[in-house]
Amino acid sequence: MKSLFGSHIHLQGKVLDMRLERQNVVAGNLANIKTPGYKARSLEFEEDLQRALGLDARGKMTRTSPDHLPAEFDARKFSADFIKDLKPRVVQGEDAVDLDKEMTTMAKNTLLYNTLITTLQKNFEGLKTVITEGGR
Amino acid sequence: MDFMTALEIGASGLSAERTHLNVISMNLANVNTTRTPEGGPYRRKSVVFQSTPLDSPFTKAMRSELEREVKGVKVSGVVTDQRPFKRVYDPGHPDADGQGYVSLPDINVVEEMANMMTALRTYEANAATISSAKTMFNKALELGR
Repeated sequence: MKSLFGSHIHLQGKVLDMRLERQNVVAGNLANIKTPGYKARSLEFEEDLQRALGLDARGKMTRTSPDHLPAEFDARKFSADFIKDLKPRVVQGEDAVDLDKEMTTMAKNTLLYNTLITTLQKNFEGLKTVITEGGR
Repeated sequence: MDFMTALEIGASGLSAERTHLNVISMNLANVNTTRTPEGGPYRRKSVVFQSTPLDSPFTKAMRSELEREVKGVKVSGVVTDQRPFKRVYDPGHPDADGQGYVSLPDINVVEEMANMMTALRTYEANAATISSAKTMFNKALELGR
């Protein structure tokens, strides 16, 4: 369906949500870095998202005819997997969170979040240009 | 789940680490203390960290499983270390016993300094999560411009 906002905007919104949740998960891990018996948690969604989008590396589904069933992405039906690491690295009985890993995840997550926001902004700017220039 | 969650978790980590630092500096300050209100030499203290849910039972019930799983941290207690006292020969000390030995707390300064560095780095990591969440927040606000 073509409208003012393409379907990608729902996808972008969903991914932003996921990245925010991942930020929370990482913050929780880092706060509990010295809690005895704490197991690191992680949030995984990229592969599932690829699959949901029908762009899996193992072979993508293409619609050869517009009459075929659409495999369009539905943002409302998608959610992330929440994973508890079952094998904590135990140093002196308390260090179950890998600091390096968590910091890298966080840095990566923030960068990707900011990038996504920038593309969304550009998208809106583009729309605005079309509206203002078209009215002349 | 919102931005405030990340900030609250970060804040819980900061406050727990600050308590840890207070306890470490208390240990270091009392390295030669022989008299305490409880009687006897000072006993080394350590903190116990515990992960804690962020919100009230009601909001907890309303949230999804994932959101309940993300937890902050708190210091659940300050425990007294039961390691035996260090006995030092010092007959001139007012608290020396019959043989001239003084019982001093068995506090290893190197151990305390190492703990202090750990607390410092953990504090920094938590501060980094907060500033990271703030960057994301500001970036999201730019969408509304």
